[in-house]
Amino acid sequence: MTPTVVLQFAVATALPVIATVVLYLIEKRTSFTKINYWVRQLIIGVVFGLIAVAGTEFGIDVNGATMNVRDAAPISAGLLFGGPAGVIAGVIGGVERWFSVLWGRGEFTRLGCSIATMAVGVFAALLRKYMFDDKKPSWLLALAIGTVSEVLHLTLIFITNIDQAELAINVVRACTFPMVLCNGLSVMLAVLCVTLLSGEPIRKKRDQREISQTVQTGMFAAVLIAFVATMAFTYALQVSLCRNQTRALLEVNIEDVKNDVKETSDRGMLAKARSVAERVGSVENAKSLSLFALTQDLEVSEINVVDEHGIIVASSYGEFVGFDMASGAQSAEFLVLLDGSTTEYVQSYQPMAYNENLWRKYAAVEVEGGFVQVGFNASELQTQIAADMPNITQNRHVGETGSMLICNANGYVLSAREGQNGVSLADTGIDMVVNTSDPGTLFTGTFMDAPVYGLYQEAEGYRIIAILPQKEANFARNAAVLVSAYMEILVFAALFAVIYFLIKKLVVDNIHRVNSSLAKITAGDLNASVDVRDNQEFSSLSDDINQTVGALRRAIDEAAARLDAELVYARTIQRSALPMVFPPFPSHTDFSIYASMDAAKEVGGDFYDFYLLDDDHLAFLIADVSGKGIPASLFMMKAKTLLKSLTESGLQPNEVFTRGNNQLCEGNEAEMFVTAWLGVLDLRTGHVQFANAGHNPPAVAHEGEDYELRMARPNLVLAGMEGIRYTARELDLQPGDTLFVYTDGVTEATNANDELFGEDRLLASLNAYKNEDVESICKKVHKDVDAFVGEAPQFDDITVLAIRYVGRNDHGTEG
Amino acid sequence: MDISSTRVDDNLVVSVSGRLNTSTAPELDNELESLIAETEHLVIDFADLAYISSAGLRVVLSTQKAMNRKGGTLVIRNVKPEIMEVFEMTGFVDFLTIE
Repeated sequence: MTPTVVLQFAVATALPVIATVVLYLIEKRTSFTKINYWVRQLIIGVVFGLIAVAGTEFGIDVNGATMNVRDAAPISAGLLFGGPAGVIAGVIGGVERWFSVLWGRGEFTRLGCSIATMAVGVFAALLRKYMFDDKKPSWLLALAIGTVSEVLHLTLIFITNIDQAELAINVVRACTFPMVLCNGLSVMLAVLCVTLLSGEPIRKKRDQREISQTVQTGMFAAVLIAFVATMAFTYALQVSLCRNQTRALLEVNIEDVKNDVKETSDRGMLAKARSVAERVGSVENAKSLSLFALTQDLEVSEINVVDEHGIIVASSYGEFVGFDMASGAQSAEFLVLLDGSTTEYVQSYQPMAYNENLWRKYAAVEVEGGFVQVGFNASELQTQIAADMPNITQNRHVGETGSMLICNANGYVLSAREGQNGVSLADTGIDMVVNTSDPGTLFTGTFMDAPVYGLYQEAEGYRIIAILPQKEANFARNAAVLVSAYMEILVFAALFAVIYFLIKKLVVDNIHRVNSSLAKITAGDLNASVDVRDNQEFSSLSDDINQTVGALRRAIDEAAARLDAELVYARTIQRSALPMVFPPFPSHTDFSIYASMDAAKEVGGDFYDFYLLDDDHLAFLIADVSGKGIPASLFMMKAKTLLKSLTESGLQPNEVFTRGNNQLCEGNEAEMFVTAWLGVLDLRTGHVQFANAGHNPPAVAHEGEDYELRMARPNLVLAGMEGIRYTARELDLQPGDTLFVYTDGVTEATNANDELFGEDRLLASLNAYKNEDVESICKKVHKDVDAFVGEAPQFDDITVLAIRYVGRNDHGTEG
Repeated sequence: MDISSTRVDDNLVVSVSGRLNTSTAPELDNELESLIAETEHLVIDFADLAYISSAGLRVVLSTQKAMNRKGGTLVIRNVKPEIMEVFEMTGFVDFLTIE
């Protein structure tokens, strides 16, 4: 690959990623999403369709195929922006690819590419809808989807050109790496960019991962391992098969050539032997001849004349005379000439019986009285048949492109398919491997600059070499590996999708349904039920949840009923602690008093109290414990009892508070406090001694006049802080005067508009009823507060106490 | 009710806005409880406080007590007249430091 090609591919890979980022930002940051969904999908589809077209036009031609990064665009559109966009982009890319042949794009892959680009758009759309529920996949799955899509694409190219399988395999092989890599990367980067832009973590924390994602990851790893393992096995198997086939092919050819060489040499040697036999004539005649001179004359190494008993009677080598041919395995073979079954016999070039280190080829011809055996050394033999050698391998080929070589002991090629005759073996490039490997073993080497497999044997002093270019030898292996890899990827991907889909449908979707029902229940709707009945497990889970919720509902109802009963009890106790009978002192006509407490909950924190200390002194108290409910009411009971006993012991109101405060501060771990207003009225004079612990000021009115608040700086609330000294205060009531005390439940009563009832409204109410008796005053003020609050809930206890001083001057002293 | 806190020099300033009533007081209570541990000088800013109920007073009271226990200081700042009225009526003005 040249740098230009790499750049071309990089640009084509980056385009879908850039488009994804831009469109994503447009969707996020502008009002683009307000446009009709289908219009939006059309726009996105066209944009990605044009990028697919650019992918085709940026493509590179390989053997009539256009290698390209076209599919990433429709996949990204379908996965990240919506099914329709993916389909539209795929159709645009596919149709343009079909017509792009008109302006020079590859013809060979036209059909496969067009179909594939449309198919991957649909593929991505289906995945988005059924596998990812309209959410984006993880980047790892995106990589897998890009990869599988390209495998599908290349498989389609293969299928549509099955009649030219060899070319198709070559095209697919050439395209596999760049196309799968670039498309896979492109889709992965697009998903990664969107994930980063949306601020999601690339790898989610364990508790945020969905089951389906964990299953995806696990299955992905398993599938990958299975794929790698089976591919390694397939590859090893194919390599071994390929070697064995190659060796068998080479061996058969070598055997053929070996036979040819042997035949040629046998023919040549027998002819020579016949001419020697003619010169010798007969066994008898031979005894008188100089056989050594004859070897010189006829250019042979050795002549032996054997009699009818198989004994050498004459030889060009003196010491051979008397040798019994039957004594050696090699020489004994020639005895067939004596039993009349044949008249000629030739042996292959081999070590002689007499001396194992000496190699000879023997041919023998029958003569009268025995036979003549002629021996040749290698060079004599080769000279004899040299003229015939080139013809042996000239028209021979191994497989389609392989060839045979015959070379002599000096390393020169005597016979070859393509005119390497006379060339030194070293110049062809395979001399080294031939010289270093053993005969009959398969070797790899380089012949005429092409990598080849080779095998050689030796025959008649020649080396016979068979050569098959690796390209041809490995073709079947590569095709098998490639096709099985593709099929495995597609099968595993289909399996992956089916398992994922089943898990999602059988488990994940049901869990979501259970969860949404549970969400209703946890939001407080205990009457909601879970009803997922797709399979036995979820049916029983639903039943269990429903039973649990039912039991819970019953338990809560029972607890609530119990609590209600206890609160009603508590309310009765609290109410009975407050004086409730009016008039409380019927014999006392010198004053009238009325009070009421209306708790916001069943039990409250407000309280009032009044009691005669003696015939002339009436103590009255109103107080408000911070907080409400059971804790406040318990604190209230404590405070009430304490204040009453201190008051009855004869202390002044301020002293009661000073002492009471210290006692209430002890062990006040809940940090509650009480505001209180305590007065002691001298019934003889109308003089009131009082103390105020953080309580609202009283309202006082002369007979027939308006009320006014008696503002006097209060001291701190009771139980707030130890050691406070409360100030003694006083006021005087004239006969007919009314004093009204209340808690902040009155002034801070709030209506639906968040307005407070306030002091002004209180005074207005009081003034409206100034001529009424104390009971009416209290009841009517309360009614006004209720009317003001309206539908808004009552937050605080509402407590009022009114006292009207009548005095004794007009009516005489009681009792 | 909204609570925010900032550190100014040695002081930890806690601003409380909205209504401090029975339903919001526990949140302020929790917040202050953790902040008390972090500072010697706590300032509560009531500039945007619209209403305080007795539950709110209780939080102020317990915060003051907690600061007293650890020997720190509590300053209440920017108290509106309506809120001031409540502090006066309940006698809180006597023991709170209000600026």
